[in-house]
Amino acid sequence: MITVDARGLSCPLPVMRTDEAVKSSSPDAIEVLVDSGTAKANVAGFLADAGYSVSVEQLADGSYAVSAKS
Amino acid sequence: VSKRRAVSKTALVLGAAGLAIGVVAALLVKAGNPGNMGLCIACFLRDTVGFFGGAGANMGAVAYIRPEIVGLVLGGTVAALVGKEFRARGGSSVLLRFALGFIFMSAALVFLGCTVRAWLRLGGGDLNALIGVIGLVAGIAVGTVFLRRGYDLGRARRLPAAVGWFGPAFAVGLLVLGAVATFVVKPAAFTVTPAGAKNTAEKAVIAKDGTVLKPEGAKLVEGAIVGADGAVISPAASVAAAKPMPGGLRDPFVLALAAGLGLGVVAQRSRFCTVGGVRDAIIWRRFDLLLGIAGLLGGALVANLALGQFKLGFEGQPVAHMDLFGNFAAMAVAGLAAVMLGGCPFRQVIMSGEGDADAFSAVLGMMAGAYFMHSFQFASSAKGLAPMAWPLLAVMAAALVGIGVWKTAPARAAAKARSAASDAATQEA
Repeated sequence: MITVDARGLSCPLPVMRTDEAVKSSSPDAIEVLVDSGTAKANVAGFLADAGYSVSVEQLADGSYAVSAKS
Repeated sequence: VSKRRAVSKTALVLGAAGLAIGVVAALLVKAGNPGNMGLCIACFLRDTVGFFGGAGANMGAVAYIRPEIVGLVLGGTVAALVGKEFRARGGSSVLLRFALGFIFMSAALVFLGCTVRAWLRLGGGDLNALIGVIGLVAGIAVGTVFLRRGYDLGRARRLPAAVGWFGPAFAVGLLVLGAVATFVVKPAAFTVTPAGAKNTAEKAVIAKDGTVLKPEGAKLVEGAIVGADGAVISPAASVAAAKPMPGGLRDPFVLALAAGLGLGVVAQRSRFCTVGGVRDAIIWRRFDLLLGIAGLLGGALVANLALGQFKLGFEGQPVAHMDLFGNFAAMAVAGLAAVMLGGCPFRQVIMSGEGDADAFSAVLGMMAGAYFMHSFQFASSAKGLAPMAWPLLAVMAAALVGIGVWKTAPARAAAKARSAASDAATQEA
């Protein structure tokens, strides 16, 4: 399980950091923290296209945890 | 490795959003906006600045608070609130974002249009915009090199809610001023280009009904404009060739506002971006956002053909010039600046409405850039580039590369630290 903290990053960095993590270690499970609707949608779409099953949870502080399992 | 779809399901939403924006833009031209300028973030922000800058900043012909811009910001706000995505945030290189917005606007006013209008001009048959779009792609490609090397303006943080409302409050202020100037009385301190007014090559201004507005005391005599002292200011041939002032070409206030609000909602929900599509296609061969651009281009093309507004060629295009290298270079600089901002000017306007103070800073930078470009007469005209346009573009390109290198170096170190940390975590596991 890898966690990527992409909160506060501008486009397209949340997806780039996710891509970096997926490529470097091909994890079975990955969680990406983001805090904008755009980053949430982009990261979720990217991981789905990479073959993961993706779920999104909204956290108490308003940010999102995008979780993906292979 | 699993098979990756090139186009995800959000692509259809983006395509539809682009299509809607392109069609509405063409309709706004039909309703009175300048040619191929149904929607132009740079032009409309510039016109809004003209309301405050007026003739003193050489903006007498481009002075009008465009309700479309106000609508886009507030449409973004409404959609973000409904979707529970309104977040007061900022603090990611606020001043650099102001500078990047400034540079973006300056380059856009050399080309004569932002990244949205570049595609809309192409959809109207303006082949000068094809050169611009090729420059845009080149500029975005340079931006992706910085991104791949770790370019990063830093993280935005959550801010007190009040800071997030700066953008929407600013838009409401503009809305009130614009509505008062349109429906009540033009405030004496501000400038509004008279609707339908034309100006001659000698800078005399004639109202829609033929009366001479500028210079004061001048009259029309046998088709020529004659000054109060009897000297001919504009000969009859020049009066006959007078061109409408862009700021005086506009669709009805309420229609413009409604269109802006609607497109603001569409853009916020779909995350439409006129730069990200090309960027993502270059980095990942992902085409979701690019389908939005294709929709924009297709929608504008079909609607312009249907409305009889399509005119293919280089010559005589509305609010455009034919400087081949100028169009290429200006849009390349604009494209690079937009990638470095994280999105096109349309996105910056929408994000200003979503509580993003960094995006609002970029929008203010764009407005300052418009004031600068007109004050010093660096903006292009239909005749071509201003004399100082090339040195200016060179300085701006150098500034962008400087910012890019500066904001890439520490980011690379951070990336190394990240990969070291993940290696350590893997070893522990």
